[in-house]
Amino acid sequence: MSDEIRAASYDALVIGGGIAGGEAALDLANNGYKVLLVEKDLSIGGKMILLSKVFPTLDCAACITTPKVSEISRHPGITVFTGAEVTSIEKKGEREFETAVTKRPRYVVEEDCTACQLCEEVCPVVVHDEYQYRLVGRKAAFIPFSIASPRVAAIDIENCTLCGACEKACPPKCIDFTQETEKYIIKTGTVIVATGFKLFDPLKIPRYGYGVYKNVLTSMEMERQLAPTRPFNTILRPGDGKMPDRIAYVLCTGSRDDTIGNPVCSQICCMYSLKQAQLLMGALPMADVTIYYINIRSFGKGFEEFYEQAKGMGISFVKGKVGKITETETGNLILRYEDINENRVMEEEHDMVVLAVGVLPNTDPLSFFRNGELKADQFSFVDQAEVLSSPARTSVKGVFVAGTASGPMDIPDSILSAGAASSEAISYLKQ
Amino acid sequence: MNRKIGVYICHCGGNISDYVDVEKVKQAVVNDDGVFLAKTTMFACGDANQKEMVEDIRNNGLDGVIVASCSPKLHLLTFRAVSERAGLNKYNYVHANIREQVSWAHSDNKAGATDKAIQIVKSAIAKVRLAEPLMPFRFPAVKAVAIAGGGISGMRAALGLSDMGCPVYLIEKSPFFGGRTSQWDVLYTSGQTGGQMVSELYGELLKRENVKLLTGAEIISGSGNIGDFKLKVRVTPRYVPENCNGDKLNESIAACPVELPDEFNFNLTKRKAIYRNHPGQFPQTAVIDMTSCTRCGECEKICPEIDLSQEEEIIDINAGSVLVATGFDPYTPADGEFGYGLSDRVITLPEFKRLIELNDSGLVHKGRRVRKIAYIYCVGSRQPEGDNKYCSRYCCTSVIHSAIQAKKKFGDITGYHFTRGIRTYGKQELLYAESLKGGEIYLQSYEDDPPVVEVNENSLKVRINDILTGIREVSVEPDLVVLVTGMVPRADNSVGALFKLPKGRDSFFNEIHMKLRPVETVIDGIIICGACQGPKNITESVNSALSAAVKSFSLVNRGELEMEPIVATIDEETCEWCGACYEACPFDAIRKTVKGTREIAEINNSVCKGCGICLPVCPVDAIELTAYSNREIESMIDALAGSYPIMTTK
Repeated sequence: MSDEIRAASYDALVIGGGIAGGEAALDLANNGYKVLLVEKDLSIGGKMILLSKVFPTLDCAACITTPKVSEISRHPGITVFTGAEVTSIEKKGEREFETAVTKRPRYVVEEDCTACQLCEEVCPVVVHDEYQYRLVGRKAAFIPFSIASPRVAAIDIENCTLCGACEKACPPKCIDFTQETEKYIIKTGTVIVATGFKLFDPLKIPRYGYGVYKNVLTSMEMERQLAPTRPFNTILRPGDGKMPDRIAYVLCTGSRDDTIGNPVCSQICCMYSLKQAQLLMGALPMADVTIYYINIRSFGKGFEEFYEQAKGMGISFVKGKVGKITETETGNLILRYEDINENRVMEEEHDMVVLAVGVLPNTDPLSFFRNGELKADQFSFVDQAEVLSSPARTSVKGVFVAGTASGPMDIPDSILSAGAASSEAISYLKQ
Repeated sequence: MNRKIGVYICHCGGNISDYVDVEKVKQAVVNDDGVFLAKTTMFACGDANQKEMVEDIRNNGLDGVIVASCSPKLHLLTFRAVSERAGLNKYNYVHANIREQVSWAHSDNKAGATDKAIQIVKSAIAKVRLAEPLMPFRFPAVKAVAIAGGGISGMRAALGLSDMGCPVYLIEKSPFFGGRTSQWDVLYTSGQTGGQMVSELYGELLKRENVKLLTGAEIISGSGNIGDFKLKVRVTPRYVPENCNGDKLNESIAACPVELPDEFNFNLTKRKAIYRNHPGQFPQTAVIDMTSCTRCGECEKICPEIDLSQEEEIIDINAGSVLVATGFDPYTPADGEFGYGLSDRVITLPEFKRLIELNDSGLVHKGRRVRKIAYIYCVGSRQPEGDNKYCSRYCCTSVIHSAIQAKKKFGDITGYHFTRGIRTYGKQELLYAESLKGGEIYLQSYEDDPPVVEVNENSLKVRINDILTGIREVSVEPDLVVLVTGMVPRADNSVGALFKLPKGRDSFFNEIHMKLRPVETVIDGIIICGACQGPKNITESVNSALSAAVKSFSLVNRGELEMEPIVATIDEETCEWCGACYEACPFDAIRKTVKGTREIAEINNSVCKGCGICLPVCPVDAIELTAYSNREIESMIDALAGSYPIMTTK
């Protein structure tokens, strides 16, 4: 690793290039501020760009995210670092933040890559594609996904065998194995934390059989199957490639559940499950979809109407928590549950089960400040110091929080919270 | 004219190419007159394709570009920007919609869909052949924002704008700031009272020199447009000056002979014609309600500073953007709805909140001690019939919090919650858990079998077929029934009507895009926030208020705005001023003017939206629409119809 540390300064640092961070960066840049947007992943767009459609409008998520992402990436006031991480932040004084940023090598010269995908074609290494939630494979030389921004290849050095095939195949000769990690010290007047959330890992609930029974999926895996850039171009159960016709949704997987340490309601799972169920009814008109729930929480604008629409389409709703899932010889799944409306314990067979996994905190930002100045709430989300009157303020003056870094929320609430964070950041810079 | 046109046909990742043969579309147009290149692309909107388009335009000197993809609502601006980056005038870009209008509409007929896509692209080519470069209009923007509504959203937006360096007018119709929040007692989760929160915000606003606070102020007219709104505000005088305070004021209030129900306390108490809501209200001066004052002069005798001769004022305000934060009304149950109106012991949630604050030692309502309370959820929300199909989102948490507060304050209270499924989303779930642990009893009705409130002479009874205890009929005889009422749009729509703000199915104001543009409206320069857009709690209202503030700020910050040059134009020679266009215009963009000796129509370019509705009503064909001239439209129609046999066999 090179010892050289590069220095740069901007008005604002936005950490996280998902929809909240992107919106905050645009608000700042549209008002004349210079912004550095640091994204850990290889593309900006966060989780939203990978979704199928959005509730309750059923807009195609890719179609409404790409213009935003494109606006961010070409805005003269915004510099984007992808594959980059914040390692520490120090507050030197008011409006004086110094942030150490590490940018991992992509092993591809970004400016020269034309996204021709020839490197992908010749690469002999196949690994699970994390952007397709491991439903399919990708190469070690790869473009993260078709609408990635930047749409530039990267070499997955962990899995690369250094065979050199991609170097030879690349027409503009932009593959460069000598690239090194770059270190930066970034000076800014303010910081916005928009580091998003993590999804609950269903391996923590072994009785649902995720990871053991092949036809038990997470909701994010189903999002990918339903997305316009979907891997199979239809809905298939992973076990044997059969098109499912009895699909179950298990709500509150990893939410509202003290036994796995998360008593919080994740706020989005009811709605994305209602959405997926409706999309499934469209994709597989003969399929039965059943949603097992504790309470359906369709609380936002247009949400209750969306719930009514789902009922009208013939989606079944069963009030009851699923206790256990077992697999049959055919790969079908038997759900044991308490039907609360009927007041009895029941069993039902389905051929595919989707676990509606919840929202967990991304705890990365809690280690940005060496002495823990950036405080967490009791669930390890970034604490909102003045949650009613100034929800974007954190325990550090001049550091603001946007989107799900402070707790579960849906896209419009993330956009609103990003607006609040940028408004406060501008006010702080002007003090 | 020899044109060099580039055509891009988008797969939309299958959204289009699953039903439209995009290669065939390309082949059908690549040799058309003026077409220099035609390509297909997986995602036209993706970064890589945008880059490629820029290079194509630059390297080949293209003078017209078409993307055939989704609705122009989604990506017209995206591709105009691509043209601009490549140095091509953005009005030489034409958008062809082959997704919403073709692939999605004709998924049952792939051959037909492909034919239709070809026609649509051909008509776009016809249009771009005639396209002229245009320059956007530029005009100054007044660097000030007017905010309608001085509740928590309006106050917080005012503070946000002020701190960003933008002058603000905060216009509140009632005599006091703070809106609904000032009526709430202890707030979840801060533990402050609503009054304290309002008082802190008000204190901050008073420190700001660039904030003009107006109470008793009603916007009576609004004209102008983005960058230059002109409002007329009628300010009702208070009649009570600031130096009439303390004991003297209290004596004046006591001396007032007029008594009327106090709406601040939901008529649980009475107030005088000279009054204030509560000691910590804002502004801290009292006001005289002239609609009920008898001008008896009793208060003046004690407080000679009181000046009943004050007169209302009309103030002119000029602002670059208007932020609407007019809030909500609590739902008022219909007569007989869950016993409301049949017994005075059936009250609403807002009334209950005031009742908790107004009682000290024990909870007493209408002279009776209250120990057992039945809370009935979703009153006026999630209704199968009528307007209120939506969930009001704040009420579950709000009533659970109030029930906990009542228990803490008065001790011996048990709550029975008749729910339709609790919706304490997010971290609010912990409040529900706390309430369960505290011994509150939760029941849940079937969706089609709501609880029943029986009003008897001396008692109340609430019955439910309860899901949670195994379908048993459970009944409770409470001392008080609290109807958990939701939020409804303000009955007073005067501000919305002034600006013709569109409303959604739920009758709250509508945003441009529910997901990504939740505070902007279709009326340029008018921004909405808080509960006037839909039910919200305080945190959500404040987030939307600050989001609205930053959006308004970015409109007025630079002091200059750019507008679309696509407007109607009047042929001065032909126009005979008949007024038909004036009648037809939905944006008030047309007025009568005199040219020489003749009366003709004139278009206000900053108001005209280029909708074209004035064109067909003109009896002498004196109106053209920039970029949509008759010649362009006719050429498009010819192209659309051109290849049909019926047209070509003449």
